[in-house]
Amino acid sequence: MIVEKIFNKWILFFLFLIPVLGFIFEEPYYITLTTKVVILGIAGIGLNLALGYCGLISFGHAAFFGLGGYVTGILSFHALSSEIMFSWPFVTSGSSDMLVIWPIVILSSAFLALIIGLLSLRTTGVYFIMITLAFAQMLYFFAISWPNYGGEDGLSIYMRNSLPMINTMDPLTFYFICLCWLLIVIFISAKLINSSFGMAFQAIKQNEERVKSVGIETFKVKLLVFVISGTITGLAGSLYTDLNRFISPSVLNWQMSGEIMVFVILGGIARLYGPLVGAAFFIVLEQTLGSYTENWQFWLGLILILEILYVRTGILSLFEKKLKYEK
Amino acid sequence: MKNKILNIKNLSKSYGAFKVTDEITIDLHFDEIHALIGPNGAGKSTLIKQIVGSVKHDIGSIILDQEDITDLTDVERAKIGISRTFQVSSIIPQFSAIDNIVLSLLDKSSKTFQLFKSINNNKELYSNAKKILMEIELLEKSDISASDLSHGDRRKLEVGLALAMDPKVFLFDEPMAGLDESGTNMMINLFKKIKSNSPILLIEHDMDAVFALADRVSVINNGKIVATGTVDEIRRNELVRDVYLGYEI
Repeated sequence: MIVEKIFNKWILFFLFLIPVLGFIFEEPYYITLTTKVVILGIAGIGLNLALGYCGLISFGHAAFFGLGGYVTGILSFHALSSEIMFSWPFVTSGSSDMLVIWPIVILSSAFLALIIGLLSLRTTGVYFIMITLAFAQMLYFFAISWPNYGGEDGLSIYMRNSLPMINTMDPLTFYFICLCWLLIVIFISAKLINSSFGMAFQAIKQNEERVKSVGIETFKVKLLVFVISGTITGLAGSLYTDLNRFISPSVLNWQMSGEIMVFVILGGIARLYGPLVGAAFFIVLEQTLGSYTENWQFWLGLILILEILYVRTGILSLFEKKLKYEK
Repeated sequence: MKNKILNIKNLSKSYGAFKVTDEITIDLHFDEIHALIGPNGAGKSTLIKQIVGSVKHDIGSIILDQEDITDLTDVERAKIGISRTFQVSSIIPQFSAIDNIVLSLLDKSSKTFQLFKSINNNKELYSNAKKILMEIELLEKSDISASDLSHGDRRKLEVGLALAMDPKVFLFDEPMAGLDESGTNMMINLFKKIKSNSPILLIEHDMDAVFALADRVSVINNGKIVATGTVDEIRRNELVRDVYLGYEI
């Protein structure tokens, strides 16, 4: 049996290989598809930190994904149209520079996650699921009723945001930008999971009462995990807007939260590369089954049921026997 | 008052008309093991939960080392020095035995929010954890997943988690339940050794262990303390014999 670490290296190898082959054979469609896998994988890795490793079943991560997307879209929209975005406390008409947009996305996603976390982490179980869902739906309906930025029709940006000395409009170049972010996110997540902080949040998932009894402030730990998780998913939302050059309220919908959750469950809960594998599997399924039938989601549902019944710990568990904290 | 590290006054808890603990006044001296005995459902474990803060009391006060901790949360109480074991083993099942102990050492060593440094490279934490495992005779099982440990070993591990916190007081809720004779003897020797650093409030049904260990014994029945005294005083107490010990001891 192939061990998971080797399989993970193969995943990274294919993430390099497929877009390069797409470039060589002039098939940009495959580059775009792989870019989508990478971006949605980042979103899933973000959720996996909260859900998989800390047991926080958030059904509202679309809020962060959508916020990241809208912040990117709005900043870019104003920059490209030279419209003033706001004039107090300083005048700005947005930005189309990724080096400006990314920090703003990271800060705004972290802030939103902090607010949602502060309120929702007072609850547990099904109440936590419902309250996170409610926050995302609030933002969804707000976006729909916000005509300045397209309302229900969404917001188009005509040029992908830029990076100094790099042609981001080139699909392969933009792909490698996303891949860099994926590697950074994987690196940060791996560091967190193996740290003492990681030990604390993985213990909370298993037995919060015990963790409290040894003097660890579980609320603070969960809040920080939730903020980091929301921030990573927000960053993915930003990249997604740049990939499509379009953002609409659909990315804030509960269905998006559900899809991100499906990536995590399909690939393997509490497995570092799990959401990436889940996203790849989901998109390949969407593309292949989608070409045969409109009801491809029915078959996805069936696969999910079979997976939960027979391979409960996700696709990656087929390649690995035991992780440090897993039975 | 000076020789009391833990002083509980008139602690009460009711669920509707049912009084689980009824104006309980009990204290714990430095260097002692104070056993709390009584029939099942008498209110012993609820009292422990009230002391650690996981169950809110209705009235009463709790003083730890001359500091009023009545309004502190369970985490704050753990931080300032109340360490407990649970009646039913409560460990982190998917962690190894040594990782369970390391978890218990995190807060004391201010390492909980160390985000990026690998925990496995923290030699000091693991070396301290090994010392604890040696004390509870689990060193050779340090890498075994806690869920794969036997019941007796899990009880030992629970005590290890409490030891690792180096608290002001220990609250042990039936730590010897399910232990074989050697396990019980190990615990008895361990408790005798650690009580000088941190006194112990011990709930236990094994009367041989209680009589071997306790400096004082309190008897709880229907949520009330019905007697407190030395082992000999409690053994001779007619009321205690009636409600709990019987006449064969």
